[in-house]
Amino acid sequence: MSRIITEAGLRELAEAWLRDGQAVAGPSEVKLGLIQYRPITAAARLLFDGFVHPANSIKEFFFPRHEPLYRYRLEGSRVVLEDCEPPAVKQLVFARPCDAAALPVLDHVFNWDCADEFYNRRREATTVVTLACSRYDDECFCTSVGLGPAAEQGADAVLFALGGGAFEVRPTTAKGDAAFADRTEESDRTATPFAGPPRRVALPRVEFDSPVWEDATLECLGCGACAYTCPTCHCFDIVDEGNAAGGMRAKNWDSCQFSLFTLHASGHNPRHAQPRRQRQRIYHKFHIYPEKFGPILCTGCGNCARQCPAGLGVLNVLKAIEASHAEHLPA
Amino acid sequence: MSETNGFEPKIVAYVCNWCTYLGADLAGTNRLEYPPNVRLIRLPCTGRIDFNLIVKAFEMSADAVLVSGCHPGDCHYTAGNYHARRRWMLFRPLLEALGFDLRRIHFTWISAAEGRKFQQVIAEITESARKLGPYRPYEANGESKWRPAGLPPPKRRSGDDASLRTTARELLAEGKAGVVIGRGERGPVLARKPEDADRLTWNGASKIALTAYLKRKEVRALGKPAIVAGPADLRALNVLEQESQIRREDIHVIAAEGPGAAPPDFSDLDALLQLEPGERMAYWAGEFDRCVKCYACRQACPLCYCERCIVDKNRPQAIDTSAHARGNFAWHITRAFHLAGRCVGCGACTRACPAGIDLRLLNQAAARAAERQFGYRAGADPKAEPLVGVYSLTDKEEFIG
Repeated sequence: MSRIITEAGLRELAEAWLRDGQAVAGPSEVKLGLIQYRPITAAARLLFDGFVHPANSIKEFFFPRHEPLYRYRLEGSRVVLEDCEPPAVKQLVFARPCDAAALPVLDHVFNWDCADEFYNRRREATTVVTLACSRYDDECFCTSVGLGPAAEQGADAVLFALGGGAFEVRPTTAKGDAAFADRTEESDRTATPFAGPPRRVALPRVEFDSPVWEDATLECLGCGACAYTCPTCHCFDIVDEGNAAGGMRAKNWDSCQFSLFTLHASGHNPRHAQPRRQRQRIYHKFHIYPEKFGPILCTGCGNCARQCPAGLGVLNVLKAIEASHAEHLPA
Repeated sequence: MSETNGFEPKIVAYVCNWCTYLGADLAGTNRLEYPPNVRLIRLPCTGRIDFNLIVKAFEMSADAVLVSGCHPGDCHYTAGNYHARRRWMLFRPLLEALGFDLRRIHFTWISAAEGRKFQQVIAEITESARKLGPYRPYEANGESKWRPAGLPPPKRRSGDDASLRTTARELLAEGKAGVVIGRGERGPVLARKPEDADRLTWNGASKIALTAYLKRKEVRALGKPAIVAGPADLRALNVLEQESQIRREDIHVIAAEGPGAAPPDFSDLDALLQLEPGERMAYWAGEFDRCVKCYACRQACPLCYCERCIVDKNRPQAIDTSAHARGNFAWHITRAFHLAGRCVGCGACTRACPAGIDLRLLNQAAARAAERQFGYRAGADPKAEPLVGVYSLTDKEEFIG
């Protein structure tokens, strides 16, 4: 036996959250040909099918691109500090499994040397509902990083399309259970498993000193499109913004692909060329992060390749690394 | 302050030290009364007034801005005001496309002897700002449903792939080029070895302008570049040459067509300008709401070649780095204006944007002003003087009071 819900039922669920004053986010068409995860104000805007992956990730709903930490203002000769709080509302986020799978990975870094209250509170207040994939494109490689089209990691409930506007619901946490309580029907229909993309690359051993970095990544132009649409990239910068009367301290996204990311005050830049910055990105994902926290910092969503203006992306670099090893191995 | 319904506009006036500031002084010594709503900021010359200051004043809750300097022919530094005039001629259309209310931005010439004119100008501006009511920067009044038709798909290049590969292979094999910058199936290709030449194709994918690689240190280190150039690349090369960024003899150009003489298609810009200013602002507010400041627009652009971009300068921080409305508006205004009279219309910024923002429209606003007011098209002639680097005594000034 399984629990099923119709597409209309899912929209009713979203509508009910909105009516309660809670937030709902999910894939929606922002303009012709562009689907992004966006906060939505009407359940009709949610998309459940007809695309492979939105052009961004759901990390924005846990780790916003810009988040004020506190504000200050001058009152006479006194400086008044004012704490900022993440919004108190609950969030319902509809996502792809590869986006949700990034959350348990990110939990490590945001709770390592200090617990990031902003992240944790958002995480607590959010119910993530994923829709298992039933299609993939050339950039998808979840099956190469140990995940798959129905990965449960980070999801509170997983939906499986049954066709005809019906979805099987498999809650994986109490939050997921609560979200779908009284909204599903018993059925004997169950989803047929979908294999997802073929394994595209075996995770190669990453070599620090290798000509492959220059060979494979010289085309990188040093923007942050990959990092900013990646579900796992989490670097941020702390900035102060304001004037003599008042202002704020905020946490803004940052990317290791920017040339100023590692620029020292002395003028020295240890990552002085783009291939070195690309090496850092790949190294962090497949070596530094797993060494420190366990999981790799990639869910195979393929956004880096889809969004890269220069046609690069993690998968292509990994393939190049794999090929270079083969070249260098004795016959 | 005068009796009104409580609203007193704040007016920021950027004035030239040698004329308008002295004019204000004269108004004071002559006991000419003018509204106290104006905050005067003295600068050496209108030619030194960065347009960012105008934007900044609005961000910091000014309700109107005045920029005022010496009459034509009167500049203490000979030509600062002429340079300023030309920049404003390009800046105003850009602000117009963004949906700014141009009635809040004033330009005047006031000499040291014109205390009375200063008095009148301030009184008029204050009155008009009072009527317009408080200004809230970048406030979107609702949501705009307007969508541009968008960039047309890239035109097919007529070149022959086999001969392109032969040329590239020979250049690399004979050491005549250290790198051939071209397109491959997946995206740009930097061919460094003769065998890499087989990956090149005339009609490959690329969201960026190949000429953007000429600014990259890593690419410059490879030796003389050869570039597989389409019409927009040729125009970009012309601008880079005009601006002394490259010497043509240092670059091997492989081209199948000329730089193109057809006028750019401004139909989306026309449609945008049909909207009410408030809706234009709402449109951009909606678009910039998706901007995450990844700077793909800048990196993909052949003409954004500054070693350190103004947005990355933090002493002082002229543009907020945060991806909030204020930071995003300031960034895109700045980028568009820095490209005024320089943008060759390649569309790379728009193609590269992961958030699908049609940035090209902003560049077009300035590009069309350049065409209409100066008969100037960026990249058409490598020998032409850069538009913003020079001035003419006959530049229009009907908008200057």
